[in-house]
Amino acid sequence: MGDNRLMIKVTVNDRLYELQVDPELRLVDLLRDELGLTGTKEGCGKGECGACTIIMNGKTVNSCMVLAFQADGSEILTIEGMGDGEELHPIQEAFIRQGAVQCGYCTPGMVLSAKAILDKNPNPSEEEIRKGISGNLCRCTGYQKIVDAIKDAAEVMGGGGDER
Amino acid sequence: MKGNIVGHSVPKVDAKAKVTGKALYATDLYMEDMLYMQVLRAPYAHAVIRKIDLAQALAVPGIVRIITKEDLPGLKNHGLIFKDQPALVGIGEKVRFTGDTLAIVIGESNIQVRKAIKKIKVEYDKLEVITDPLRAMEEDAVTIHTAGNIVCTHKLDKGDIVRGFMEADLIVYNEFKTQHVEHITLQPDAGLATLEEDDTICIWAATQWLHDTRVDVAQAMGLPVEKIRIIQPAIGGAFGKREDIIAQLHLAIAVREVKRPVKTIYSREESIIATSKRHPMIFRFRTGVKKDGTLTAWEATVIGDTGAYASSGPAVVHKGLYHCTGPYDCPNVRGVAYTVYTNNTYAGAMRGFGATQTAFAYESQMDIIAEKLGINPIELRLKNAYQVGSTTPNGQKLYASVGVKETIIKAVEAFERLGGVIR
Ligand code: FES
Ligand code: FES
Repeated sequence: MGDNRLMIKVTVNDRLYELQVDPELRLVDLLRDELGLTGTKEGCGKGECGACTIIMNGKTVNSCMVLAFQADGSEILTIEGMGDGEELHPIQEAFIRQGAVQCGYCTPGMVLSAKAILDKNPNPSEEEIRKGISGNLCRCTGYQKIVDAIKDAAEVMGGGGDER
Repeated sequence: MKGNIVGHSVPKVDAKAKVTGKALYATDLYMEDMLYMQVLRAPYAHAVIRKIDLAQALAVPGIVRIITKEDLPGLKNHGLIFKDQPALVGIGEKVRFTGDTLAIVIGESNIQVRKAIKKIKVEYDKLEVITDPLRAMEEDAVTIHTAGNIVCTHKLDKGDIVRGFMEADLIVYNEFKTQHVEHITLQPDAGLATLEEDDTICIWAATQWLHDTRVDVAQAMGLPVEKIRIIQPAIGGAFGKREDIIAQLHLAIAVREVKRPVKTIYSREESIIATSKRHPMIFRFRTGVKKDGTLTAWEATVIGDTGAYASSGPAVVHKGLYHCTGPYDCPNVRGVAYTVYTNNTYAGAMRGFGATQTAFAYESQMDIIAEKLGINPIELRLKNAYQVGSTTPNGQKLYASVGVKETIIKAVEAFERLGGVIR
């Protein structure tokens, strides 16, 4: 290691980091092992489960499928950046209210996918919600409650209420 | 209702920690001076190990220690029901499936540890690999464990099976098979262990039966129970898989040797190879029934593949047998269940504990009977479903709260409400 390290600049949860990274380091490891942001989970390491979902430049990505240096210059939102530190984000509140959290291992990824759905369309149909979380597996299989939580959040956040 | 808990919707105690990403799972634990551990798994599903050459692996930079059975001659087997599973397989001993462990490798980084594992050379003599429990039960099959390939047999006898078949207008025989199912807990198997100043070993790992795991780890290592402490972090799914010891024993062995915190995270592939599954089962059902659909006799043979180690197998397969008629009352039942070793990954508890597999078989059998008799399958079920006063195959009298018929009726109503058509 050492010699071929790359210098990157990346903004994570509104904080700018300048970092030396190994060219083989994955983004999920950078976040978890080096920045201590363990809210991002790894479930498969293969782009299948969505546990490692983050929002990068406005789009959800599987952080296990991105190398850390590829994040150079990007803006990243992880679960730790949802809400404002004190207050929960309405999506997080809706997940609690609707009982959408079981073991919780899929939850950070689900919450970020939910955010991406609502950022794109504040008033999504059930089908759009289901499509939007189709890359996130929940092995405790609480999908219905997760869908309910996203609908609930949409309503609270001002969209929603429209049964399309 | 008084109070503010019973009858109220109460937020889950750790829901906030989970939606904010603050909940710590075993995968999320880090400690200063922490080392990483991975294990070398068996190169073949059934073989006698002749030589384990560590020289090249030990030369990989960052490798702190490699532990084999030769370092721990006193290590005892572990297991939930029978102590038949070794944490390490040594020279001259047998591996029984590809998840068996030959060496515990500990190093400064996970990358170095994985590199070292690839450099361990193993010599072994292959034995017949048995993947089919029917083969395992044959006279000339090689024995996977010294006592033979049938772990245990359970029997069931209710009423008079001969009379039951004599009363029948129709006898239906079928064989049903189910397959391995992997739990895929979303959190990969993982754990962290530390050695306290008084030599107590602390293990953080998702564990369903903390007290059993604690006792089993202690007995395997020949330590007093007080020297093992299991601490439960957040659990990223379990579904029965985490009733068995997974990484706990390897972590305890490792931390005792290196005296520094040791962490492990399995890859998904490793978890699939090395940890428990839902039992594949074979069901042979011979069912006697009258023209009007009344069940008169039910004969069952159940064969459960528990893989290389018994785990919860004896209880799971036994339960598969006891539920052989499902929620249907049959006055005359006879059955036998065999829990069988093979060289497949061991099978244990998983959501339903044997009853799930059986449901596939008896519900299929009921559908086939309905078709043969020309009776509506719902009617056939309602005719035979348990009610207060029914007796289960193992003789348990149901004296209250038997909701099967009501459930079937409501399910049919819901099906029709949603536009389903019953023919
Ligand atoms: S861990 Fe990245 S998709 Fe599963
Ligand atoms: S809550 Fe357990 S995986 Fe979704």
